[in-house]
Amino acid sequence: MKLADVMSAMHFDLLAQVALVIAVAGFVTVMVAVFLARNREPFRRAALMPLADDTVVRRPGDRA
Amino acid sequence: MASPGMRNERMEQFVYDDAIVRLFLLATLAWGLVGMLVGVVIALQLASPVFNLGLPWTSFGRLRPLHTNAVIFAFAGNAIFTGVYYSTQRLLKARMWSDALSRLHFWGWQAIIVAAALTLPLGINQSKEYAELEWPIDVAIALVWVAFSVNVFGTIAKRRERHLYVAIWFYISTLVAIAILHIFNNLVVVAGPFKSYSIYAGVQDAFMQWWYGHNAVAFFLTTPFLGMMYYFLPKAADRPVFSYRLSILHFWTLVFIYIWAGPHHLHYTALPAWASTLGMLFSVMLWMPSWGGMVNGLLTLRGAWHKVTEDPVLKFFVVAITFYGMSTFEGPLLSIKSVNALSHYTDWTIAHVHAGALGWVGFMVFGMVYWLLPRLFQAELWSKRLAELHFWIATVGILLYVVAIYAAGLTQGLMWRAFDETGRLAYPDFIETTMRLIPMYWVRVLGGVLYITGMVFCGLNALMTWRSGPARYAEPVHEAPSLAPMAPAPAAGGFRHAAWHRRWEGLPVTFSVWVGVAVVVASLFEIVPMFLIGSNVPTIRAVHPYTPLELAGRDIYVAEGCNNCHSQMIRPIRAETMRYGEYSKPGEFVYDHPFLWGSRRIGPDLARVGGKYPDLWHVRHMEDPRSTTPQSIMPAYPWLARTPLKWSAVERGVAAQSTLGVPYTPEQVRNAGGLAREQAKQIAGAIARQGGPAGLEETELVALVAYLQRLGTDIKKPSSVAAAAGSGEGAGR
Repeated sequence: MKLADVMSAMHFDLLAQVALVIAVAGFVTVMVAVFLARNREPFRRAALMPLADDTVVRRPGDRA
Repeated sequence: MASPGMRNERMEQFVYDDAIVRLFLLATLAWGLVGMLVGVVIALQLASPVFNLGLPWTSFGRLRPLHTNAVIFAFAGNAIFTGVYYSTQRLLKARMWSDALSRLHFWGWQAIIVAAALTLPLGINQSKEYAELEWPIDVAIALVWVAFSVNVFGTIAKRRERHLYVAIWFYISTLVAIAILHIFNNLVVVAGPFKSYSIYAGVQDAFMQWWYGHNAVAFFLTTPFLGMMYYFLPKAADRPVFSYRLSILHFWTLVFIYIWAGPHHLHYTALPAWASTLGMLFSVMLWMPSWGGMVNGLLTLRGAWHKVTEDPVLKFFVVAITFYGMSTFEGPLLSIKSVNALSHYTDWTIAHVHAGALGWVGFMVFGMVYWLLPRLFQAELWSKRLAELHFWIATVGILLYVVAIYAAGLTQGLMWRAFDETGRLAYPDFIETTMRLIPMYWVRVLGGVLYITGMVFCGLNALMTWRSGPARYAEPVHEAPSLAPMAPAPAAGGFRHAAWHRRWEGLPVTFSVWVGVAVVVASLFEIVPMFLIGSNVPTIRAVHPYTPLELAGRDIYVAEGCNNCHSQMIRPIRAETMRYGEYSKPGEFVYDHPFLWGSRRIGPDLARVGGKYPDLWHVRHMEDPRSTTPQSIMPAYPWLARTPLKWSAVERGVAAQSTLGVPYTPEQVRNAGGLAREQAKQIAGAIARQGGPAGLEETELVALVAYLQRLGTDIKKPSSVAAAAGSGEGAGR
């Protein structure tokens, strides 16, 4: 018996539901991680990163 | 963003490599002009076939892939690299890991684009949409992508910022996913320096192609641009993203869900229903995270809307994000099977794609370019008014384009499925539906011309800003503390408090592995059953491999890009079976390396065209389509009757197909050229007897006729005839 025969005998109608459950479980896990109150402050600081990335200390011509 | 108490006080100074960003930005504008110009040309060709010019290398079938590849990989690709090289250095507070790799990436990518621009008009392509480039160029793409990835990950490794901002996550997902998609969709057996055949056949090949095709949209035209949105929008608005938490959810949900959605491109085809349903389900789920991202982008402008009226950069960003929202609402809508039954193969899909490409991708690029120009070229933007004019003219251009083509798509879909009161097709002649669209196609040309005019304004503004910059660019020195040590692993209970995710955000390797796992596991969920379940592709005894001449004709069909306008897939829908014949079965395609189901019907479906017309009809039709169908918009192919068939390529093709498992006998492989010549003589003789030109037996045209006359005929043959053909007795028809 080949692997293809085994797979052919399986019922894959459930695949969509199983995949859906996995996706929802992953989503809920990440959502819990993100919205825990203790993570509020680190995320607030992270959001500011693009605004604090261009600190020029010396331009050409300035004395080192 | 080092945590309090963990900051390493040793300060380091460094300089960013903005020269590479300037190069990519200029390449973006130059290739954008080329890609959009080709787009206007092919729009003209659909409005009037005279614009095909009667030349092989300017015909629609060859130029359409050039347009899509140029705008996706040359325009959008260079724009991605512009944004990634600029923002990655700043978010990581580090110069790119290797200047040499940056230059290798830039020049390698431009060489690939030039190779594409040369080979596609020459008819060198492997037929798969957005993956048309032949194997040597595919190898080059993989190598250059590796160079890019090594450079980005090297920069991450030497960064001075512990936390990876969400934009970097989006970039990482692009690097990982595109590598996987590109490699596995382009696995081929080589049949010559510029010829290859997909290792997959029929249903499986279709599945792999749209797994790739859909996720090229996801991970090339969406995730990197979202990364750029999360960086450049806060910069332009001078305020942080509305919700960083929402951006994290946005990221993970897209990575989890997008990869499953590909099969929605194949509803009602010979793809198994379970795969189709899975694709639809996950496509509908995509709506929410996408809108979460759109809302996050628009709300970032809270309190800054007054700036939008004055700043062309923000205008472009706002419209881009709005188009992102509209496209990501429409995508799930189109994935619903009953909607797709109407929209598939019509111009509705083209309108959807262009709303995303012109609105979302194009306007994100223009917003970013206008923001970068003064900073990169160290001069004031040459003309803010010209940028404003660009915004308005391009917006009107998009609206004209999409409104006209939405109308065209709906018209097509409704006319194809219309029945009269007696239950027969209301428009049985396909050309009737085509003629209705011509006025809308002219409106599209106008919309395209307006959009490209805006692009010219942008190019002019960039050139003049560049000219007014200094002869030698200043290289400011930046300063940041060296990388802070990693926080200790959380003690027991860390998982419960979700500290694991915070750790991942500072561990790029772990983070990238999990992104890869999400992409691979989701892919395998669909790919493994697709390839292993025998019942997915029930075999049909009457279906046999193409004869050597038919195979050569198939190669010409691919080279001329016939699949850009003609599908070969009759869906089990009454309007289709009445128009084209019995619906297509998966087993009919088991020897199709690659599959040629197509994705649009600018012309009618050809799945059962075999035997519908005499050979001479095809000869006349190829010489001048207007001679058989007076209002046809198909290009003429007069060169096919003049171009000698390459018999050595026929032999290499059969040998390569045999390697792929197509059951040719050793004798057929050895004598492929002889068998092809024999069949060519028979067909050429029949054409001459029907009153056509003599002496076609050495030409490409006779091979194409052989292929077209074979299409869809296997299942109509009595089993005894089919068995004889399969045993190698039937080299002819």
